[in-house]
Parts: sequence; structure tokens; C-alpha cells
Amino acid sequence: MSDWLSTFPGYSQLLSTGKKVFGRIIQTGPTPQHVGIVMDGNRRYAKSHKIEIKEGHNRGFEAMAKILELLYECGVKYATMYAFSIENFKRPKQEVNWLMSLAKSRIIEMTQHGELCEKYGIRVQIVGDTYMLPEDVRSILDKVEDMTKNNKRAVLNICFPYTSRYEMTQAVRSVVDKSSKDRDFIIDESAIEDHLYTSDAPPLDLLIRTSGTYRLSDFLLWQCVPSSCAVVFTKKLWPDFTPWDLCKILVFWSFNKYWYGNSNGYSVSYKSTAEEDDVGSIKNDVTPSSSGMSTGFDRYLYDYDTNSDTTPIDTRDSESTAEQETIISDNSEQKSAK
Amino acid sequence: MVESLVRRKSGTNGTTIVVGRTSEAEKIDRRDRGEKEVTKAARSLISNFLHGGEGTGAAGQSGLNLVLFYVNHAILLAIFFLISIYKNVEFVYHRVMLKFLTLAYYPNKTPQLIREDVTKLNKIPRRISCILNLKYEDDENGGIDGLVNDISELAAWSLSAGIPSLSVYEYSGAVSDHLQQLCRSISKTLSVYFGSDSMPSYCVRVPHTNTLIYNINTENPTSQAPPEKVDLEITLLSRVDGKPTIVELTKTMSELVNKELAVNDITVDLIDEELVELVGKEPDLLVSFGPCLDLQDYPPWHIRLSEIYWEQDNLDVNYAVFVRALQQYSNCKINVGK
Repeated sequence: MSDWLSTFPGYSQLLSTGKKVFGRIIQTGPTPQHVGIVMDGNRRYAKSHKIEIKEGHNRGFEAMAKILELLYECGVKYATMYAFSIENFKRPKQEVNWLMSLAKSRIIEMTQHGELCEKYGIRVQIVGDTYMLPEDVRSILDKVEDMTKNNKRAVLNICFPYTSRYEMTQAVRSVVDKSSKDRDFIIDESAIEDHLYTSDAPPLDLLIRTSGTYRLSDFLLWQCVPSSCAVVFTKKLWPDFTPWDLCKILVFWSFNKYWYGNSNGYSVSYKSTAEEDDVGSIKNDVTPSSSGMSTGFDRYLYDYDTNSDTTPIDTRDSESTAEQETIISDNSEQKSAK
Repeated sequence: MVESLVRRKSGTNGTTIVVGRTSEAEKIDRRDRGEKEVTKAARSLISNFLHGGEGTGAAGQSGLNLVLFYVNHAILLAIFFLISIYKNVEFVYHRVMLKFLTLAYYPNKTPQLIREDVTKLNKIPRRISCILNLKYEDDENGGIDGLVNDISELAAWSLSAGIPSLSVYEYSGAVSDHLQQLCRSISKTLSVYFGSDSMPSYCVRVPHTNTLIYNINTENPTSQAPPEKVDLEITLLSRVDGKPTIVELTKTMSELVNKELAVNDITVDLIDEELVELVGKEPDLLVSFGPCLDLQDYPPWHIRLSEIYWEQDNLDVNYAVFVRALQQYSNCKINVGK
């Protein structure tokens, strides 16, 4: 279907214009700043389409370029792609070698004149334990990092080779090292966060895992556990994952953020109920300002409350409001007792 | 503005690519300069629309951009409106599905029925972990009592399914202050399921406070020594077992370093060993009983390869979700890296 469509003249122009328009529209609402993607399913794609495994990986890299284009069009500042896991070294030697050479050529291609990096001003960072890579690959990756280091608009983190446990271990090690040298060094969560590979990035907002696997597979574990991060699993294999699928994910993310204030959707966790309490205190204020409420859902709740407060029919309205107040204070006491 | 239109046309036509590219560079430049002048809301759009010269009048430019911002925002809100309708329909669908599933899978407090559901599966997890939410005291099955009930039911289901280890994550860790009540409730539930004569033994562990309560069949209270093996190990986790534990571990290591520990001795295996000791082993299956997937600061080290399951719009702990999680796990294929 899409092959047939793409033969029409002006198809690619239409697509790129469509991406631009979508980017403009979605940027008027909340957009994620940092997106992590697990590119999984290349080999299954190759198997199901009866093509060679290396061709499957090749298609994967092609898909990556398209997806990245849309991401940066939508105002994403940081994209973190899981290209190669440390565990992937266990794969057959031939496949690993092929992956290495493919990564080399594709990453260089991206940074060439007029390609993705120049178009969107992307700084490429190679994240992970690069000392495990062969010498030639490492030198090329270093060169690429050096070439793009002056780009300021967006950042592309390529995890190559990476596992989150290694990352956390490395962070712990450098924190321990630092504190052994400097006695006043305070060890807390932010200290460890500052030593993770993604220390300069904003907190992760969205993590996408393709290929219908409901696992994180050692990717950005520390970064993705806070409630502020939405974890999205899709059934599509990575080469099948089109910008259109990403559009849907981004719009839903934006909707959840706008309406619920939580990118996951409506959540009933203790944490979010605690946050609702804060909103409640704003509500009880004498002069509530709608600026304090950042989400559509809050505003809705607020409107609902004020309507019920300000439309008294009974003559006993002062009593009933007093009652309401006591109920509210009771609740808050109970919550604080918890 | 006319000039800008011409430029953009020439850019999109693709005939004069060089011009298009220089305008990209200009775009970045302008954005940096323009940032101070324009309002925050329109700022992101300025970068996309400011192609023309500055002589055209900054006021007119920003006015136009503001109008364009509102047009785009209106489109976004229209999309959000459609999404909200879709979400409502989806919500109803999910609730009906869940209702149907609860009827289809009803444990009826008999282990045999659960066993029948489980024997169809080709593998079951050894360790299961559940994320529970503390609800409001006033809600149905809410507060501490509700949590305690849920944990007891989960314990009975896990035992019937033959899972030897259950860990329960709740953000605030409120249950760990009510261990007496919890043990009483679990014993009661288990006696309902299994009969008071053949009640399985279990132990409740709170890693953070380092407490361990054994509950052996109270037939022979003389044997005070902890038994060799219990049928079910219940672990209560909370936020403190996640990142704060890793921070504590880092602190301990930084005290030991240069005395008993070298910085290079800190490896993935060492940290893994310590965290298994401090928190527990990594679960095979993680079930979230919330309306959406929200990891709520779950211990990041421990969700590396855990299969994650949640049921959209599900509000409470119910058996259908539990069984469906086991079904998903039995179908998953874990290949670490390969």
C-alpha cells in the first residue's frame, strides 16, 4: 500500500511538510523533552520478511533516521537510542561485526553535509562503555562526536554498547571515588544522577519499546522509574515502526500531560493523591488563581468545585460550606496521619 | 513577509536547496536573538516562522505568530477533544472486558480452580512482584485495611499457582507498620483457601527495617526455630528500597574504600550481590494493579528483565489480571542479548 503511494510525485515533500505541520501543532501543547527508544525487532523483521539479518538491521537504521526527524521536528531536545547492548556481544561474531560496520557507516552518513545532524543542529553523543568497542569503530565515533560538538539545538545519545546496570555501577564507582578524595562530598540521589551517562539531559519523559516485548531490557532503568516518565510498549517491530505510530504516541503523551498532568494517564498512586492534596490547598484559598493549576483535569476539578460552592440554593449554605470545610480538614488530617 | 513566503516556497520546492539551508541557519540565529522579545508561548513557533527580514516590523511579526500559535493550538485542542471521546469509549470497553474476565476467571477461594488455570501454562515465574496503590480511606477497599486484604489475596493466589516468592511494592510502605494485622489477615485468608489443617507456612520480610516474621502452622508452637523452607516468602517493598538503598550502598562503599575495598573492585556483580542481600532478587514478573503503567520509583536495579504487565483502566487487585499476567509471562521469550 505505502509502496504504491510512494511512487506518486511529490510524496516525500508531502511527508516532510506533514511532519513539519504536525511538529508545529504539537509544540503548542506539552511535548516531551527527552525520549528514549529501544530499537528492537530487526531480526524478527528479517525473519518474517525472509530477508537476511543484516538487511533487517539496515532497515532498522533507515527507520531510525525517519523517527529522529519527526522527534526533532516535535521539539524533542534529547533522544536516546538503544543501538547495542553489552549483552549483544554474545551474538554470533559475524553478526556483531556486521552491526559494527553498519553503525560506523550509518552514523557517519547522518553527520554528513546536509543530513540529519546539520539540518536539525544535532550533537551526537556516544553513550556507554565505549572501551569495549573495536579500535577502529571507537576512533570513528570519537570523530563524529568531535564533528558535531558545536551543534546546540538538540542532542542524540546513541547507546553503543550500553546496559543500565553498567551505567549505574559506573556512577556508583565515580561517586565513591570522588567522595574518597573530597570528604565534604555529599552522597545522595542527585549525586548519583550527576554521574550517569545522561547527566546533562533533562529527566526522561517517554520511553518507547517496540516489538511487543514487555520488558525494559536493561535500558535507562534509573531514569525511567519515576512516575513522570511514561513507558510505552508497541507491538510493531522496529523497522515497521513508522513516524505515524510515533505521532500517535506523542499525541497521547501530550494529551495525558495536558489533561491529567501525568504522562502515564490517570494514576491513583499514593504519590499522585498527595499531589492532589496540594491542588486542594490551592482550591481552599480565598483567592484561587487558575495559574496554579497546570492541567486540564485540575482546572476541570476546580471549576466543578467552584460551581458547587458558588451556586448556593439553600439558605443554610453557610452551614453547608462550613461542613464542607470540616470534611476537607478531616481528610487532610487523615492523610497526614497516614 | 512576502520575502519570507518566497523563501519558504523555494525551500520546499527543492529546486534551490542551498537557499533552504541558509534559511535554516538563519532560523537558529534569529531564534537566539528573538527569544528575549517574544512571549514564552509563541517562542517555539518563532523559530519555525521567522524567515523574513527584521525590517518588516517586529510587532506585526509577533502578532502574526501569536495568531498562528492560537490556530495551531486550536487544532491541537480539537485533536485532544477527539482523543477524550476515544478514551471514554476505550474506558467503557476496558471496564466491560474486565467485568467479563472477572466472571470468567473467578477463583472462588479454592486453590484447585487456580491450579487448573495455571497448569495450562508452559512456564510460571519463580518470583512475582506486584505494584499496589494505597487508596483513600473512604474508597471501596481503601486505606491500610484494603491493602492488607489485597496482599492476603495475592499470597493465596501465588501459593495456589505454585509461585514461591511474592514481593509487594507500595510507594509509601505504609503496610510495614501494620505487620501484626497483615499476618493475621494472611493466616485467615490462607485458612479459607486451604483449610485450617493444611495451612501452608509463609514468612513476611521487610528488607528496609530488616524484620522477618515466620508464620508456621500453629499446631506445634514449641518449635521456635525458623523452618528450613517456607512455602511462600512475602517481601514488602517501598520507595526506600529503590534509589535510596543504592545511595546508602554507595555511602557504605565510600566509607570502606581505601581500607577494605578498592574503587576498581566495584563491579556489576558486587553491587548485584549487595542489592540482592538488601532488597531481594529480581522478579520474573511485575504486575501493576493500577489503571496505567506507573513504575512509581520501583527499585531500578531490579526491573532489568522483569516481564511487565498491567491492565488498562483496572482499578483494583483482581484475580483476572493476575492470571492474565501469568499467561503473558508463559508466552514471553527471554534471550539476554542473543
